Amino acid sequence: MRSRLRWPIMLAAATLMLAACSQGKDETPSSTAKAPAATTSCAGSGGLTMWERSGGNKQMVDMLVAAWNAKNPNCKIKLTYIPHTEMVGKIAQGIASGEVPDLMGMDLIYAPQFEKAQQLVDLTDRISGWPELKTASKGHMTVATFENRLYGVPLYADVSALFYNKDLFKKAGLDPDKPPTSLAEVREDADKITALGGGIKGYYLPGNCAGCNIFTVGPLMWASGAKIEAAGPGDEPLVGDGVKQVLQWTRDMVKAGNVHEGDRTENGETFHLQFGSGKVGMMGTGNFNITLARQQNPKMDFGITLLPGMAPSSAASFIGGDLVVVPKGSDRVDDAVNFMKFLLSDEVQVEVYAKALNLTTRSDMVENKYFKAEPLVQDVAKALTVGRTPYTLTFFEQINSPQGPWLKMLQRAYYTDDNLDSVISDAKAAMKSIANE
Amino acid sequence: MYRSRRSQLIGIAYLAPALVFVLAFTAYPLVQMTWMSFHSWSLITPAKYVGLANYRRAFADDQFWVSFAFTLKYTAIITPLLIVGGYLLALLTSESSRLRRITRTTVFIPVVIGLGVSSLLWYWLFSTDFGLVNKALTDLGLISKPVLWLGVDADRSNLAIIASVVWKVIGFGMILFVGAIQAIPREITEASLVDGASYWQRVARVVLPLTLRTVLVVTLVSVIGSLLAFDQFYIMTAGQPQNETATSVFYVYLNSFPYLKLGYGAALSIILALTILVFTVVQLLLTRRSHA
Repeated sequence: MRSRLRWPIMLAAATLMLAACSQGKDETPSSTAKAPAATTSCAGSGGLTMWERSGGNKQMVDMLVAAWNAKNPNCKIKLTYIPHTEMVGKIAQGIASGEVPDLMGMDLIYAPQFEKAQQLVDLTDRISGWPELKTASKGHMTVATFENRLYGVPLYADVSALFYNKDLFKKAGLDPDKPPTSLAEVREDADKITALGGGIKGYYLPGNCAGCNIFTVGPLMWASGAKIEAAGPGDEPLVGDGVKQVLQWTRDMVKAGNVHEGDRTENGETFHLQFGSGKVGMMGTGNFNITLARQQNPKMDFGITLLPGMAPSSAASFIGGDLVVVPKGSDRVDDAVNFMKFLLSDEVQVEVYAKALNLTTRSDMVENKYFKAEPLVQDVAKALTVGRTPYTLTFFEQINSPQGPWLKMLQRAYYTDDNLDSVISDAKAAMKSIANE
Repeated sequence: MYRSRRSQLIGIAYLAPALVFVLAFTAYPLVQMTWMSFHSWSLITPAKYVGLANYRRAFADDQFWVSFAFTLKYTAIITPLLIVGGYLLALLTSESSRLRRITRTTVFIPVVIGLGVSSLLWYWLFSTDFGLVNKALTDLGLISKPVLWLGVDADRSNLAIIASVVWKVIGFGMILFVGAIQAIPREITEASLVDGASYWQRVARVVLPLTLRTVLVVTLVSVIGSLLAFDQFYIMTAGQPQNETATSVFYVYLNSFPYLKLGYGAALSIILALTILVFTVVQLLLTRRSHA
């Protein structure tokens, strides 16, 4: 009898020990009391794996990783780009299968979803005391925080602003040093620029791209006092007169012929090429477009101002970009944290971000020699002060999906004569339904 | 007894690789998908049993049925084009001559390109501002201003995509038809010539009946491929305008991955798989009848 019992007991004990060992890997580092102090160099040896979404951010992220690799030849980061639209699914599949990278860049709007699901390493005890975080981009830090725990730091920042073509302003008899400060002024200026003819239009509306629109039309609504997304179950989306006012304004712009007909097919593929074409008077776009427009059209003179709302001097911006986070299951949390420290260091902020004319992710680093020599970057950096980042667990379904209610609402507003109250109420019902699931 | 047992074991050994393959790559995923369809699962959170809720939701989901109807419409339009077009090309090129062999090769080349690549190629060809299609039509004086091919009008988008897929796929059917036509014994063709049959009479009464099985096989492959259409719509319209060009598989993909509703996506997949099964059974029955 004793020998019969002994084996099952030993087996159970062995299973428990194995389970304890395997759980140890998933244990949140915050609970490991003696995490080493972060440095800007590697803690271990051997290459690190990192995932990042593809897109206009590639040049910037490549430079950041190259800077780390140059300083840390013993633990170089091997960067893998995932197509932007595949990123969420890819990360989820990686988590489900246990095949995760050591660290990853994550579109900041999706961070809350993964934080809530407890799939990211809680870094609070390791990084919350860093002085650099006091000035780190507020939009990024908001979505990097879930229930007062910290899960990441900014990788890079994109902000939206109104770019305007000074050459076309001059040709249309407008003062190139007086950009519009309200949507009514944008309309007036656009009418005059469109009147120039020759395929030139006063404004640009990306008709088939949900993400481009939350980036550039969303701020017009925020600046007009509206709220867009439902944060969670029971929360009311599309609140405020600004929603209808902006939709009416966009519909009028389309009807007045102030946008190219081809804008209707814009699904994001050629969005970044439009302003540099020189055929658009004004356009909501991001800081990434400064360098791109210069490369595309070196002779074009352009300026940047804040995206306005209905009232004069009202303004808003979308703060986008990526966070660096550590997926659960990463074997190299110490090195990932050191990479974060490296990104936030004064040297990298100035000599990598600013030198390449990208926004610094710390507000106290905006005053630097590179930005002083480039007024446009200073102008676009002002957007950080009026910017915001939507916070919802269902951002993709509500806003970013090509099938989602946000794009459907905009397309009905831009290109149909449907009653705007019905258009808004349909979108509101769909967004609420998604948020309530 | 020993010999029969041994021969049984040998038989099983011969079957084993195929059996393992089918079990690992067909049976197991199917069972797993069925299990998933009864759960609410986001991949990043634990699965929760929800019974038939995903199926109830699918039957009440307007967008799924809009996508399903659009997929059927796409299939109904493209299948005859692929079959009739492929067959006509095969008739044109089945005789062996240098020019015909070159034509066959030229028509077949797009088949070896990936569908994603060809969709991207046609996306740019149909681009309003930068596309060659609009440029060519404008230069020929056929249009006065650029046509918005993709993402604005559902029917126009569908036709543009169909044109791109026909270019890409038609060579596949053509090659199979050429093989079937060339397999017809020469004496049958010669007998019909002696009887004074015209070219089209020979095609209708000799060639077509003798290649009917191939026609049905190509139709089956084409219908299944069209019902599972994804890449071309994902790349060229992303379901626009107003989700009117979203195919069933595109909707399954959206729910499964970007929305992280794997259980619901699995339920939609099961419904789609059963529909395709019905089509397949009907076509297989037709094939058997033609064989008999």
